[in-house]
Amino acid sequence: MMDVNLTINKKNIALNLKGNETLLEVLRDHLSMTGTKTACQESECGTCTVMINGNAVLSCITLAANVQGDEITTIEGLANGDVLHPVQQAYIDHGSVQCGFCIPGMIMSSVALLKKNPAPTQEQIEYALDGNICRCAGYPKIFEAVRDAGKKMKTN
Amino acid sequence: MLLNPLMLYLPQTSLEAAKLYKELEDSKVLAGGTFLLNSMKLLKTKGTKTARNILSLAKVEDLKGVTFQNDILTIKAMTRINELFESPVLEGHLNILHTVCRNISTNPIRNMATVGGNLTCRYTWTEMGAVMIALDAQMHFLGADGKEDIISAEDFFKNAARSEKLFTHVTIKAQVSSRVVYRRVKKTLHVDIPLLALCVKTDIKAKQWYNTRIGINNGVAFAQRDPVLEEFLNKSSSSPDLGKEALGHLTTAIYDTRSSEYKQHMFRVSLKSAIEEIVRG
Repeated sequence: MMDVNLTINKKNIALNLKGNETLLEVLRDHLSMTGTKTACQESECGTCTVMINGNAVLSCITLAANVQGDEITTIEGLANGDVLHPVQQAYIDHGSVQCGFCIPGMIMSSVALLKKNPAPTQEQIEYALDGNICRCAGYPKIFEAVRDAGKKMKTN
Repeated sequence: MLLNPLMLYLPQTSLEAAKLYKELEDSKVLAGGTFLLNSMKLLKTKGTKTARNILSLAKVEDLKGVTFQNDILTIKAMTRINELFESPVLEGHLNILHTVCRNISTNPIRNMATVGGNLTCRYTWTEMGAVMIALDAQMHFLGADGKEDIISAEDFFKNAARSEKLFTHVTIKAQVSSRVVYRRVKKTLHVDIPLLALCVKTDIKAKQWYNTRIGINNGVAFAQRDPVLEEFLNKSSSSPDLGKEALGHLTTAIYDTRSSEYKQHMFRVSLKSAIEEIVRG
């Protein structure tokens, strides 16, 4: 067993791990942070996307002990109390959520994009979200939400 | 648990990592993890043993970054694909690397995968090998004694991408006047690994081709050059039919061994269009 200190949503969390746990397993099974979804577990679907140091990455192929000292942000860390993050709000406003399973991952990829580039082109949005698969195929509404959230984030 | 029990090592410097690389038995190097962790998970589901010791390079700061000095581009092993894609130092020097990075897998993978991992993971279908061969890149390896070996990318892949030492960085001489074109074909619509990748680099003076290097990745063997095609092109002048004529001068075994008809066809379409793009300037 090894002591592992993670910074998740700006909170320091001390864990005692075996070392072979993925970040996805730690989030869901050790910390009950089930907002990050688990599906393919082989880096194909994007439902497990979180942000590490501002970049969208896949928690299913990240060793938890390997990201000590990094800033980990999950879907639970976006809202400010009862006030949703502009991207979360835009997904609701634009009806971008169908079954909803892909949405936490989609939102994390969208936030990572808009923090770097609040006015992305359609090509840049598609580039940033190309690792997130929506089985409902609700992409047009998702793209609309990203564009709108970007405008709001730029204004704020 | 998705992975078998393992012992994780987190060195802080490249020399410390090189020493561990030599010392550790039953070990694998963890760079971005996009190949390694998936393969370890897959092996576990099959009941196959996986490496006990994992040497992570995540915290080795001197293995990160891209620089351009004295006409030499240096890409450190732990540079993420998207970091290379976004790097301003490529501007005007080796823009082809933008194209290569743009076409690798998906955004979260590009945020995780590293140049070092792509070059040294020993999967035959990775993208960077053919490009590095065409650009005559030099690969640098660090031993436990602190001594560095420099091997051309061509020789590294000829040696089946094996090394006793730790890969630290790759250097490429800027070839401002050279023309470079890259082509990649996906395996299937839904499986975004390359069926094939190729890179054509040449210099042209008064329409005459010279210093041509062709890097080919057929996914079956490690990336390699096509000497027959290079020789033909180095005796050729730019003309609208050059792409078509070149298809009669291939080392056919590279393109056709264990290739489906579709793959053989796509190789020829890709080569022809790459040469025609260079001709058009």
